[in-house]
Amino acid sequence: MLVNKKRVKRNKSLDKFFHGFFMAMALLSASFIVIIVLFVFAKGISPFLPGYEYGQVNIISFLTGSLYRQDQGIYGIGFIVINTLVCSFLALLLSFPISVLTALFIAKIAPKKLGAIMQSVVELLASVPSVVYGVFAAGVIAALIKDLASSLGITTFGGSSMLAVIILLAIMIFPTLTSMATTAIKAVDKDLEQASLALGATRTQTNFKIVLAAAKSGIFAGAILGLGRAFGEATAVAMVAGNKLFGPTFDLFDITRTLTSTMLAGLKETSGLDYDIRFSVGLVLIAVIFVSNWVLNYVKKKVGNN
Amino acid sequence: MEEICFDVKNVNLFYGEKQALKNINMQLLKHKVTAFIGPSGCGKSTFIRCLNRMNDLIEGCKVEGEIFKDGQDIYSAKQDIVDLRTHVGMVFQKPNPFPMSIYDNIAYGPRCQGLKDKKKLDEIVITSLKQVALYDEVADRLHESAMGLSGGQQQRLCIARCIAMSPEVILMDEPTSALDPISTAKIEDLVLELKKEYTIIIVTHNMQQAARISDYTAFFLMGEVIEMDITDKIFASPGDKRTENYITGRFG
Repeated sequence: MLVNKKRVKRNKSLDKFFHGFFMAMALLSASFIVIIVLFVFAKGISPFLPGYEYGQVNIISFLTGSLYRQDQGIYGIGFIVINTLVCSFLALLLSFPISVLTALFIAKIAPKKLGAIMQSVVELLASVPSVVYGVFAAGVIAALIKDLASSLGITTFGGSSMLAVIILLAIMIFPTLTSMATTAIKAVDKDLEQASLALGATRTQTNFKIVLAAAKSGIFAGAILGLGRAFGEATAVAMVAGNKLFGPTFDLFDITRTLTSTMLAGLKETSGLDYDIRFSVGLVLIAVIFVSNWVLNYVKKKVGNN
Repeated sequence: MEEICFDVKNVNLFYGEKQALKNINMQLLKHKVTAFIGPSGCGKSTFIRCLNRMNDLIEGCKVEGEIFKDGQDIYSAKQDIVDLRTHVGMVFQKPNPFPMSIYDNIAYGPRCQGLKDKKKLDEIVITSLKQVALYDEVADRLHESAMGLSGGQQQRLCIARCIAMSPEVILMDEPTSALDPISTAKIEDLVLELKKEYTIIIVTHNMQQAARISDYTAFFLMGEVIEMDITDKIFASPGDKRTENYITGRFG
């Protein structure tokens, strides 16, 4: 007899145990997310509730304000939201074409070995810690911008500027965009390429009209991820943003202020409302990311519907 | 007097070290349907891909010998490959429409050649679709995605896309192997219709298909052409024992 009844029973109970065990693990990690969101929400919403110990803040003037002065107790972040959106989207605009063309080169044009080397370089870039990008931005990008500005007769705050933030973010999201785009391009059905070439299209025509068109959904997904990173990047951005007190900023050489740099600046040396309000800013940041992801996913669906 | 479309002389093909085609010699005639038959891996698909140089895309693939088309060796350095492929179109085993509208699928080839005139493109799209008898089925949704068509319709679209380039030759690499019997019958009718204007070379696994639609048949085995003759003769009285064994279903 191959079937041992005892054995079968034991296997069954072992199965049951592991089923429960995995479920517990999944619940644990899911509960972290819930706990974090609940905590940030509770803390972030508190300044706007009546009876708040440091004096209730008006939520409308918080969300729409164009002045942020903790020394005077004025907290308006409307302009900061705009700054964040402008910086992130411009960074995406700058990084997107470079990333897509790099991905095309890696996946389709480069000789195999060179492509593999380039791909590992891109992956390496993704693993550089953001604070390292930050010192690079402060030491190199900001210095270059300072020189550029002074040659144009513009004074900057030591190079800290919106332009520095945009360039920094563009560099930081480049690996995400590129590796997602490379994967998407490599996944394009070879049959489509062959069909195009067999119709007398050139390599370049095939790459642009067929390969990129077929990969656009994956490329777009990379853009969404990259934008999420741009929105959320704090450390490096805080090092070159300059934290302007009012705004919004539309001058590339002027300093700016993003939601993340606002949350980060002086977090450890403050208390009371100025401390709690950072949680409110965090909530707004989550909302901004959520909404822009939703919008981009909607656009992606529209674009991908072919 | 029959005109020669391709004159193939001593073609050998290697994938790295492995020889996939051995000393192929044949003449393919204009405005005829020539079928390549043979068991899987016999080299018939490999050979058809020599005729529009699609094998160039495969790394480590080396072709020796000459294939003359209109007096020029298509493997000579002088041959412009893009130009060759505009004259020698190809239909693949799996229908492979581009993920774009029906209209754009057909306009793709001409547009790649720089044709922008909307009127001319419209005309090409419509005549191409009519030629493959697809126009009536899709007339009201030309600007909808081609991915919504059935497999058989997709394959006819691919043939229309090929015709839009007004090629001289259409290569078909097992064009019906992924299709149901009704779609297959439509494609076969289409081939008989198209041979009035085009030279058609078709690879097929289906011997009845070869018998039904081709004028000439070549039997491939292990990278060699065992026998090539008028189709009726190949099927009625094959000259080689191996051909006979294959077409009577004793192997393959």
